[in-house]
Amino acid sequence: MEDKKVYGVRCKACGKELYPAHALCPECGGREFEPIEIRGEGVVLTYTDVYALPLDYALRYLRLAIVELESGLRATGQLLDDDPKIGKRVRVTVGVVRERGEEKIYGLQFVPV
Amino acid sequence: MREVAIIGAGMTKFGRSEIGLIELMSEASIRALDDASLGDLRVDAVYVPNMGAARLNRQTAIASALVDRLNLFPAMAEAVENGPASGASAVKNGFQAIASGMADLVLVTGGERMRAVNNLEATDFVASLSHPQAEYIYGVTLPALAGMFTRLYMERYGVTARHLALVAVKNHANALDNPYAHIQQRITLEGILTAPEAVVNNPYIADPLRLYDCCPVSDGAASLVLASREIAEKLGRPVVRIAGIGQATDTHAVHERPDPTELTAVRLAAQKAFGMAGITPQDIDVAELHDAFTILEIAESEEAGFFRKGEGHVAVEEGVTSRTGTLPINPSGGLKAKGHPVGATGVAQLVELTWQLRGEAGERQVEGAKSAFACNFGGFGNNVVATVLRRED
Ligand SMILES: [Zn+2]
Repeated sequence: MEDKKVYGVRCKACGKELYPAHALCPECGGREFEPIEIRGEGVVLTYTDVYALPLDYALRYLRLAIVELESGLRATGQLLDDDPKIGKRVRVTVGVVRERGEEKIYGLQFVPV
Repeated sequence: MREVAIIGAGMTKFGRSEIGLIELMSEASIRALDDASLGDLRVDAVYVPNMGAARLNRQTAIASALVDRLNLFPAMAEAVENGPASGASAVKNGFQAIASGMADLVLVTGGERMRAVNNLEATDFVASLSHPQAEYIYGVTLPALAGMFTRLYMERYGVTARHLALVAVKNHANALDNPYAHIQQRITLEGILTAPEAVVNNPYIADPLRLYDCCPVSDGAASLVLASREIAEKLGRPVVRIAGIGQATDTHAVHERPDPTELTAVRLAAQKAFGMAGITPQDIDVAELHDAFTILEIAESEEAGFFRKGEGHVAVEEGVTSRTGTLPINPSGGLKAKGHPVGATGVAQLVELTWQLRGEAGERQVEGAKSAFACNFGGFGNNVVATVLRRED
């Protein structure tokens, strides 16, 4: 079965966590990383409702957010919350974030706690 | 390092073009070359900023095509792709070529034909500059990034929809006096914000940003002729010197920035440009900022050092940035109303400022302008070029 989780990386030399992945660690220059799953809870840092929809979406609007996770990492994803607020607690889930023909793309979706 | 001057400037009217990309760039180039009145002198390098010809117009190697159209053989030539900052990047390349002594006369012509595709395709084309895995797949577009940025900015600094609308009203009014502007439509606060029909006339694009907070999708081209100061003085044209250029980069994914309301690359690029020019933001008489979204004019005016962080919107409200204020911003109408053919924009900002410094800006002239600043903002602030121009008498 296909792995539908979303991963960042942790620097093997200094432990710095990054999302998305980079080839060099910004803290120590390290080049070796191990994957870390993007999961858990966090708070909404900011969000928007996109009415000028991008390609591949047939909705009234698309609600996107940047969330700050408990680990301190931040991530951009879709916000599945009918009552969004800055600072509101959300939990990370993974779901279909885009469909391109037959192809389903999985990614981060934030839901209220 | 040799000093470099702008000796020729020209552009096409921005908007919807009926002619092809190379023809459009050719038209802007001829205007700039005519303006420079080179006589027997030959251009020895050509830089062609453009972001999307391969995708939007199915044409590659456009610098060679432009040289051919203009019969500029055997000039060195290349296209420059640096997202929406391609224009000022290419001017920087031209500056470097002359400053180093590798070239004496350079043509920089930027252009874009975005309306060759439909709006959905044009939006997706620009969205493809976002992080492919961490942003793009979620449906992130440039308006989406700007919308999230705006919401946080409002929360933190007390910027309101009214402040944003004031930027749009100002820039639309300026564009009425710019024959090259894409949008020539007077708008009022009432019409786009307070009247009951405003919700229909000015719908949300990426809330809190509405239609009139966003620049249009434009075709257009803009061109500059650069020369060593020695040649500029020989030709007897008014000398507009490129006094400083700064460029800086920042993270690809916006969420990785320690404070996502800070446009660090704007701050660093501006500091470098001012440092090189040996002047401060207080010495600037007129500025063209990259207002692809109204919030960006406010945020860039702070990061560039014209106002303290969180006070740019107050300056707009007090009229400081209007054409008769103490620091006119975007007298051309800005990207907001003049239009934003991405590869042309950074060049067009400097075309406007060249005219302003020569006193040739007509109805929209900022009286007595001697020093000017431009900010060309690539990505969502991940690659920014700042330029300082000065009139030398
Ligand atoms: Zn490290």
